[in-house]
Amino acid sequence: MINKKTGLGIVVMITILSLLFGCSSGWVPTGASAGKRVQLRFLEKWPDPEYAPYFEQVVNEFEQTHPNIIIKMEAVADDPMKDKLRTAMGGGHLPDVSFSWSGQFAKKFVNAGAALDLTKYLNDDPKWKNSFIPSALQPFQFNGKNYGIPIRLDGKFLVYNKKIFKKYQLEVPKNWQEFMELCKKLKNHGVTPILLGNQEPWAAIHYLTGLNQKWVPNQTLMKDYNPKSGQFTNRGYVKALESLKSIQDKGYFNRNINSVRHDFALQQLAYGKGAMMYLETEEFTDLAKEMTDDWGIFPLPDITEGKGNQNYLTGAPDGFIISSKTKHRKEAIEFLKFLTGKKSQEKMVKMNHWNSAIKGAVNKNNALKQTVEAQKYMEQTEGLSQWLDTAMDSQVADVYLHDVQPLLNGKMTPEQVMKDVQKTAQVVRKH
Amino acid sequence: MNLYQNKRALFYVLPALLMVVIFVFLPVVLNFVNSTYRWNSFSTERVFVGLDYYRRLFTDPVFYTSLKNNVLYAVISLLFQVGGGLILAAILEEKFMKKFQPFFRTVYFIPSLLSLAVVGLLWQLLYQPDIGLINDFIKAIGFKDFSYAWLGNSHAAIYAVILVSQWQYTGYIMMLFLVAMQKIPRSLYEAALIDGANRFHTFIHITIPQVKEMILVATTFTVVGAFKVFDEVYVMTAGGPGHSTEVLGTMLFQSGFRNDEMGYASAIGTAIFVITLVLSFLQIKVSKTGQEQ
Repeated sequence: MINKKTGLGIVVMITILSLLFGCSSGWVPTGASAGKRVQLRFLEKWPDPEYAPYFEQVVNEFEQTHPNIIIKMEAVADDPMKDKLRTAMGGGHLPDVSFSWSGQFAKKFVNAGAALDLTKYLNDDPKWKNSFIPSALQPFQFNGKNYGIPIRLDGKFLVYNKKIFKKYQLEVPKNWQEFMELCKKLKNHGVTPILLGNQEPWAAIHYLTGLNQKWVPNQTLMKDYNPKSGQFTNRGYVKALESLKSIQDKGYFNRNINSVRHDFALQQLAYGKGAMMYLETEEFTDLAKEMTDDWGIFPLPDITEGKGNQNYLTGAPDGFIISSKTKHRKEAIEFLKFLTGKKSQEKMVKMNHWNSAIKGAVNKNNALKQTVEAQKYMEQTEGLSQWLDTAMDSQVADVYLHDVQPLLNGKMTPEQVMKDVQKTAQVVRKH
Repeated sequence: MNLYQNKRALFYVLPALLMVVIFVFLPVVLNFVNSTYRWNSFSTERVFVGLDYYRRLFTDPVFYTSLKNNVLYAVISLLFQVGGGLILAAILEEKFMKKFQPFFRTVYFIPSLLSLAVVGLLWQLLYQPDIGLINDFIKAIGFKDFSYAWLGNSHAAIYAVILVSQWQYTGYIMMLFLVAMQKIPRSLYEAALIDGANRFHTFIHITIPQVKEMILVATTFTVVGAFKVFDEVYVMTAGGPGHSTEVLGTMLFQSGFRNDEMGYASAIGTAIFVITLVLSFLQIKVSKTGQEQ
């Protein structure tokens, strides 16, 4: 017979156990209370107060025009997004529509069979397909199939202070040699030629993204950035590291680059403490606030003796993939079409000052002068060389990321860095 | 009635036991199993590799750098947090300081209330070479052209990071000692003073033996903490420049969540577990803790 005390014990235990196991997502009623409405889980990368309102607005508009769909939006910032996507994948709960970087990162989802093949949907709607800038769609293509829909473009340009250039009668360089001469002149005038905040080493890695492109033939790059065939034996890789190191050795960067934060360096540029800085187009807004109109942009100068394709630009699209397991393919496509529609994109350009993946969405009326110029460069480019840390295998990229600070500190030579890279590439190749 | 003969008592501890098994023991075992496979969040299959990851771990120079940094962390934390905290507490317990004790207690304790991410960012700003307060201070006292890259120099960076933890937690440990010291009967001090002992003698012969238990607790706390450290390092340097400030925690995170080698990360996890387990056992053995005289 169960007495009172035992009965109480059972109740307590059941309560505790239900607390333990009750938290699983299976308990959340999805769509049950909402009748026939479909719920789409949407994961994006911009919780920042200056960018989030755009997504809230556009989701709102979509829900109003599509009363049968509810969007459950979640925003996670850039760095934590890398963990978020991995845990979502590991747990088997990838949201219906989720953010992804292009290149190798997106390919991981493709290889795991987690990303839906979108080729058919794009081909069925040629108007939609043709509205994209080709260089924005291409980084999400693997084996001739499309897996991601780009929403914005983010390019890398050298930003220069027009006042300083005017004061010393300097001109925008046409090639690397002129660029170095320009830096020399600036240094002789007592101005810091280039600002670099490399406390987080991706800042220097972005230079290498462009420099590898300029020094190494395209075919070789494609082969080496592929984890299955990466060797990194081309001499161009060493040359690229040497080019970066020479800027440092000649004293064209500011002091203590490895312990200055990137955003501090940006502030220094805004205050006129340096002449140039290598920046992403998404950072133009910050600059415009501080520098009004006294700044211009130019792409990383060509290296005449380099074997790579000089007509590429450094940059990448950011976009979304659809989970292959989603039960609501049609609705997810519908939502992505809405996000990349001209009206939404023009709104995005106006509100968030980004570069668009859609032709004609950036114009004089809704964007900064420099953003329009950058957009033109990106629409005309032959292709984009994507951020080195997302374009190649993450283990190989990790070697670059960890070795670039010692390289600039003078603790490693370009040859030593490449030896490390080759060693890791070999391990990755075998797996 | 003997507690162990009472079957119903067993019934009451079952939920707690279940919790410990599910959330502590099972993960430890699973973690070891995971470390024998090559896998990541994206992989469609798990490849059995046996103890390969352990072999690789013991030949990985980054592992030894991390281990060295963790040991440095532990030694310096023992010195500053346990040693320094003890001395600070003793000073605050002195008669002439009693009046100011609440003030200093609060001031020293505040840093430990701040979140690690906030503290990391705060110190990153302080350490900035050209606009940071630390270099500005050194410039102000006469070294005009001083500009030292605290976090950018591969030799100095780890010490700069460790210093932050000392700043944050010495006050916390001091608080623990204050509580322990307030339990010491005054009569012991009075008797010693009559016998002609000075302040130093009473500190060595009365205070320290009386707070021995707390010293051991604080030691375990700081040493185990030093091997689990992650946030401060990750926020301030993320292991850089190069791998010079890498600790086991950041190495694990990097392998698992950046390089997509969950198996290797699990192996590092097992290594951390073994190290902290051995250290805790040693300390419990040496101290015979729980047997307050």
